[in-house]
Formats: sequence, structure tokens, C-alpha cells
Amino acid sequence: MQFATPFLLYLGVVVGALGVAMALPRRGLSPQAVGAIIAGGGLGLVFLALGLRAGPDWPGIYFYIFSFIGLGAALRMISHPRPVYAALYFILTILASSGLYLLLAAEFMAFALIIIYAGAILITYLFVIMLATQAPVAEEIDVLSDYDRYSREPIVSTLAGFALLAVLTSMLVGGLAEPLHRAGPDRAVTGALLTRKIEPLLTEAYGLPPDAQLVEVEGASVTVAFPSGWGGSEQIQIFRPLSPGETMAFDLPEGATMENIEQIGLTLVGKHPLGLEVAGVILLMAMLGAIILAQKQSQVEEGRKSAAARKGLTTGPEVYP
Amino acid sequence: MTDLFTLAQSELLPQATLLHYLFVSAAMFAIGIIGFLTRRNLIIMFLCTELMFQGAGLAMIAFGRHHLNFTGDVFVIFVLTIAAAEAALALALVVYLFRRKETLNAAEWAELRG
Repeated sequence: MQFATPFLLYLGVVVGALGVAMALPRRGLSPQAVGAIIAGGGLGLVFLALGLRAGPDWPGIYFYIFSFIGLGAALRMISHPRPVYAALYFILTILASSGLYLLLAAEFMAFALIIIYAGAILITYLFVIMLATQAPVAEEIDVLSDYDRYSREPIVSTLAGFALLAVLTSMLVGGLAEPLHRAGPDRAVTGALLTRKIEPLLTEAYGLPPDAQLVEVEGASVTVAFPSGWGGSEQIQIFRPLSPGETMAFDLPEGATMENIEQIGLTLVGKHPLGLEVAGVILLMAMLGAIILAQKQSQVEEGRKSAAARKGLTTGPEVYP
Repeated sequence: MTDLFTLAQSELLPQATLLHYLFVSAAMFAIGIIGFLTRRNLIIMFLCTELMFQGAGLAMIAFGRHHLNFTGDVFVIFVLTIAAAEAALALALVVYLFRRKETLNAAEWAELRG
């Protein structure tokens, strides 16, 4: 069975290339629906090969659902003649890939993707698509332009794209095929970070006095100092009363784990502070660039209007909506 | 009734291998390239680059999950930043070009090549 895997993989890639080439719109006969079904069959063959390679445990159903939706919507996006629909299909792709992110235990990124990508960036795209469309002429209701209706060199482009995919697939043939770690990322609190989160949990779980101080977090145990001594509480009995200044080790209470967003934040500012600064500078530059471009546009229009006025013409009906 | 996240991490549903996610990400990238080459509408061409970003981001998250760290997530945050900056600038340019020639056909701007 292991022997057949590479052949199945490449067969799937070739079938997928055939399907994508058929699904792209062309002049004359273009069997788009048939092409989409063939491309889906190719993807199914690839998943069959990968599943055989992975051994007894096949992935859960959600992985297949999300990847079929995502790749299918991506294919429809590049083959749909109407730009607005293409953008909407891209939103579907984003929703599907945020589902895949959820399966990969990246909850924060899944929702950030929906909010930022589908909510902000794609809406900008939709605005510009609607802004930059020719006004429909009265006798011509269907305003699909020729360059949207037919794709450019579908067969050659598909060959180029799938040559790349085949090269990447050859990496998959030799790659390791263990399932991802079941437990997911380590969610224990590391080091003395997040003491403010642990302190209330400790107080609630063990009934510590208000002046108790957290000294150290080491693995799953916490060391707490008692400046004015302690005689135990309802929640926990101790063998002898602690004298002032003594310390005692406790188990980390339930719920003292790091959330996904806390871990991402620590990685972001702890390990990649320079990247964060550079991202901020890039955003600032993009904002400045957009402002300058917008100014130039209004200057062009004003120049045109004043030129028309100098010629003694009226500005006439507004050409640019 | 458990939520999807708990179900996905539980024993009931076996996790997919890294290769599954890498293949989906590679396929998404390839579809993005094909779209960039075949579509002739400037806006859709930019949208296809966003699709390629998506493919790269999925690979990064999958690798982060494989190595059990969060660098992949952090780099997807940077990808989102770049995508937002690119969308703002590129779309401003596209509107600028559209007002000059009243068309979004990329072939109309072929003289821009070096």
C-alpha cells in the first residue's frame, strides 16, 4: 500500500490540473462544472494517498469538509466572470481556512482572520470593485467586460501552477507522516509569567491570607511566602502553623493555564519585538502612501476642471462618478 | 453537545497529519498563481495574491502546531499586516489607473513593463 502512495499522489495532481484547466472560462466550449467535479476528484485522490500513507488513523471529517470548501471556493473565485462574486467566494475560502485554523488549535488566529480579512480587507476590495466599474450603457444591461469573461492562456497557466504543486508534492512523498501531537501546545504557565492571573486563583483554591506573596512558579508548583505567618484554612490543612517569613509550595490550581491569545502575545512581544515595530512602520507607510495617492487624484481632477474652464467650456456633466 | 474546537482536539476525531495541511496550503497557493496568470482584471489579480497569502499562512499555522510553538501564529499576524498595507496601496493605485483609462484590463497597461 505504501508503494502505491506516490503514484496516487501524482495521479491526483494530474487529474486536478486537468479539472482546473477545464474549469477556467474559455471562448467556445468550456465545461466548467465538469472541470470542477474532476478537480474535486483529483483532490480526493490526493487525500486518499495521504490517508493511506498516514496509517490507521484517518483525519476527522471536519478536515475534509473545510479543505473541500476552501479549495472549491478558491477555484470558483478564479473562474467566476463577475469580480464581486469572485470576492465573495474568496470570503468563503477565508471562512474555510479559519475552520482549518480551529482544527490546528489556533483559535485566536482563526477569529482574527475572519475579522481582519473577511471583515476589513475584503470589504475594501468590494468597495473598489464597485467604485471601478463602468457605468452600464442603457441598451446593454449585462455589463460583463470581455476581459472578465474569458481567461488568458488557461492551459499554459494551469501547467505552470501545477508544475509548482507537483514539486511541492514530491516533498510530501518523502516527508514524515505522523499525526500532529494530540495534546496540542503546552498550556501550562511558564516561569513567573502571568502572576496576576495565578494569584486570585491561588487565593480562591487554598484560602490564602491577603498578604501572601507569590515567589516563584516552577512547572506545576507554586512557591508562596507568608510575611505574617499562616495557620491553614478551610480549604487546606497544614501540619504545623507557618511562622512569619516562611514559604510553602502549592500545586498550581485548576484553570491556571495560558490561553491561546496569552501565548501568542508572549511570543509576539517576547521573541519578535523587532518584527512588531517593522509591521507598525509598514502600516504607517501604507497609510501615508494612500493619502498621497488620494491627493494626487483630486489634483488631477481639479487640473482638468480648470483647463476646461480656461478654454471657455463648462465643466459639463461629471464624467467620473 | 461539545463545541467544534473541543471535538476537534478530542480522541473522537483523529488529527490530520502535517502533510494533509501542507498539501491543502500548496494547492491554495497553486490556485492563487493560476488565477494571477489567467485573470485579466487588475483587482482580481490582487485578490489572487491574497489567496497565495492564505496558502502560506495555513502552512505557517500547521508548522507551528507541529513544533508546538506560536511563531507560526505570530507570522500570520505579520502576513495580515502586509496584506492590509498591500490592499490599501494597491487598491488606491488601481482606482488611480481606472480613472485614467476607464478599464481594469491588465493588458491596457502593458507599456508599463520595463
